[in-house]
Amino acid sequence: MIEKQENSAQRRSRRKREGLLILVILIIVGGLTVVETRIAPFGKDFSLSSTVLMFILININLLLLLSLFLLVFRNLAKLYYEKKNNILGSKLKTRLVTAFIFLALLPTTVLFFFSIQFISTSIAFWFNAPVEQTLNSSLTVGQKLYEYIEAQNEFSAKRAAFQIDSRKLLQPENRKKLTRYAQVVQRAFNRNGIEVYTPDAKRACLSLANELEPLYFGLLTTTDLTKIPSAKVSNTIYQTIEEGEFLRTISTIPFGVEPSKAEGFIVVTTLISPDLSENLRAILKGVEEYQQLKLTKRPAQISYYIALSIVALLVIFCAIWFGFQMAKSITIPIMKFAEGTQRIADGDLNYQIDFQTDDELGTLIKSFNSMTRQLAAGREQIALTGEMLKEQNTELEKSRQYIEVVLKHISAGVVSIDNAGIITTINKAAESMLGINSLNILDKNFRQVLRGDYLQMANKIYEQAVQGLKNAQIPISTSISGAPKHFSLHYSTLKDDTDHTMGAVLVFDDVTELEKAQRMVAWREVARRIAHEVKNPLTPIKLSAQRLKRKYGRQINDEIFNGCADTIVEHVDLIRNLVNQFSTFAKFPDTNFSKDRIENVILETIVLYREGLERVDIQSNFGEDIPFLKLDHQQMKQAFINLIDNAVYAVNKEGIIVIDVSYDPILKIVRIEIADNGKGISDKEKTKLFEPYFSTKKSGMGLGLAIVNSIISNHNGVIRVQDNPPRGAKFIIELPA
Amino acid sequence: MVWVTLLVPMSTFADNTANLVNIKLANTRDDLLTYFEVKNAFTDKINQAVQNGVPTTFSFYVSLYKTGNTFFDKEIADVQIKSTVKYNSLKEEFSILRPWKDEKPVVTKSFEEAKSWMTEVDNLKVIPLKDLIKGDKYQIRIKAELDKVTLPLSLHYVLFFVSFWDFETDWYVINFTY
Repeated sequence: MIEKQENSAQRRSRRKREGLLILVILIIVGGLTVVETRIAPFGKDFSLSSTVLMFILININLLLLLSLFLLVFRNLAKLYYEKKNNILGSKLKTRLVTAFIFLALLPTTVLFFFSIQFISTSIAFWFNAPVEQTLNSSLTVGQKLYEYIEAQNEFSAKRAAFQIDSRKLLQPENRKKLTRYAQVVQRAFNRNGIEVYTPDAKRACLSLANELEPLYFGLLTTTDLTKIPSAKVSNTIYQTIEEGEFLRTISTIPFGVEPSKAEGFIVVTTLISPDLSENLRAILKGVEEYQQLKLTKRPAQISYYIALSIVALLVIFCAIWFGFQMAKSITIPIMKFAEGTQRIADGDLNYQIDFQTDDELGTLIKSFNSMTRQLAAGREQIALTGEMLKEQNTELEKSRQYIEVVLKHISAGVVSIDNAGIITTINKAAESMLGINSLNILDKNFRQVLRGDYLQMANKIYEQAVQGLKNAQIPISTSISGAPKHFSLHYSTLKDDTDHTMGAVLVFDDVTELEKAQRMVAWREVARRIAHEVKNPLTPIKLSAQRLKRKYGRQINDEIFNGCADTIVEHVDLIRNLVNQFSTFAKFPDTNFSKDRIENVILETIVLYREGLERVDIQSNFGEDIPFLKLDHQQMKQAFINLIDNAVYAVNKEGIIVIDVSYDPILKIVRIEIADNGKGISDKEKTKLFEPYFSTKKSGMGLGLAIVNSIISNHNGVIRVQDNPPRGAKFIIELPA
Repeated sequence: MVWVTLLVPMSTFADNTANLVNIKLANTRDDLLTYFEVKNAFTDKINQAVQNGVPTTFSFYVSLYKTGNTFFDKEIADVQIKSTVKYNSLKEEFSILRPWKDEKPVVTKSFEEAKSWMTEVDNLKVIPLKDLIKGDKYQIRIKAELDKVTLPLSLHYVLFFVSFWDFETDWYVINFTY
């Protein structure tokens, strides 16, 4: 992440550097161009160092142009690779750059060719034929003028030379005549000056027009005088003075001979007026400049073409560069947008576009950043809410689990139903108590599950609940898997905080044992009272009966009297016996516990029944690892005797009695099951089986099972009865190990 | 007395390339003199330029170095001279100005003569002999070049990019022992 930011920063700074460099190059090129145009008109006296400076400046200019060229081509190459690699934004950039290139290329090309044409036409116009012809004509006129004057001079010189030669005026004695003749010739031919030189370049005479000063007429040297081309008869030298220009035509005397053979030289001078001289110079200058310019026609064209090409290239490159900048200014934010949307799609809502611009894109970027911030804030809020919900859910789950645990571990059975009567909850205790499997019951309507009286009862409660019943307690007695059960059913309507009925909860309390114990306590009280109340008068009754018999038996000697007395005594004994039994029941002798094996007790008991009951098969099965138990051997034996007695009676001395002893190491109980295949016990009988004075036997006192129950209770055990399918009954004793 | 020991043109020349020929060293009683001539200096373009009245100047550079044991040769004389030709198409004559000859401008109607005056350098004083040491080794280096042509309207600046008709010879080197 940090590396990315650094890369991005480096790219930004590089782009800035490039932009700055290009800007600087453009400014420098412009500045240099201005400097060059300023320096150029300094003219012909421009020094060598300045020329070198110019050279350097122009070279720098070219180098800068080259740099710009390289920069632009580098960018173009970069764009090409970006497009090739399909980098985001490259297509738009290409399109923009292409558009700018075409936009720049079209007018630039038109202007370029128009300028080329214009320059070519202009240059052709400058050098058009009439101008050249006029100048050449002017030059010819000038040349003819000179030739004419020279011819005039030559003619004068020829005539004068002939006269001087023929009249031998060069001889030293004729110098005066020569001077006079020179003056005559000067005036006669209207020349401005006549000079005569000796072969050794001494001036023999000088005749000047009045307006001329002799000062101007410097002496000619031998070189000047003898420098007459062989093909010509005279030589003219030109001398410019303030008053105009002299044409001094030198000829030999005699006329036309070789200078080396000349006897003297005549120099005829004609003055050209200043105006004419000036005009002639102007013509010369004009012609020369024209000719020189004509020389530069082609180079000038090439120079203009080069300059125009450079400018055109500059414009195109600038346009391309501008296109790049423009494209960048658009594509960079777009790329950032794309990256941003991608990052946001990936879930990074903290992404902010780091790009600043004043235009609409800037507004868009601000909106985007604001949106992401809001999204981030929203997500944080959602996350917070989610966290809270999660916490609440955890709490609820904990609470649900707690309730489930409570329900699971509660001894009472709990069943809940909703408003529609669908069973929604059954705890383990309820399953166990009612002998049902929750999988078969849950999510079913109670009407589908219940049958017979129970369904009627349930419907009744349901109707009452609809009418406003909130709580109810109903005792229920039933047989579950053949075992008698007494339940206390608590019905409660469930209401939420808004007092809206959510359903109902039924709590089952198994009060079978409680009820049994209560009954037992009641019976023991009854027995104790009976024993107490009945036993006391029995002794006086018996003693009285025996006394009556002893005292009056002999006197009366009546069979009836004695029989009655004996009957009284006998029945008092019977009653005493009965009362004793009651007493035994009411006040069981103290138990005498010792560590003993239950198998021994059972085997001892079975032995008692081996004789005389050949048709009764008493089987015993002892499981492994049955531990020692704390037992009152005698009492326990009594209990088994009572139970086997009952079983023998039930099978009617013909059947099978099976005694199974097993040990449950988890519950740490020893379970003893005594099953017979006798007539069995009805559900109604089962509920009262362990109560005193309940017997199915004709001769039974109904105290056998009550005593068994009492013994087992004293051993902290439980006894229950259930059917032994297919027929018969099964007593189950559970004793703690 | 001067003995010319070696004449080393630093490169071979094509026919149309300006070069120096007939380089000679001589001495008067007092001075060391040099003679040389530029061949192929007047190309067609220069001919045309001269005949169109462009003042054309040749520069000649003559340097004398003392060679010896030192790594760098020591320059003991540096002579730079110029010859300028200007054609007057009105009078159809060439004026040649050679300030180094202490003479007035010479005028000729013959272009060939004007060219020979421009290209020949004779009797050019290089250094007084008293400045030379007998038996020492010296090297004279000579070069000729056409000065940048001056065009009207300062066009020679505007037309900078265009290769013009200027020339420049290589340095010609002569080693000698005085």
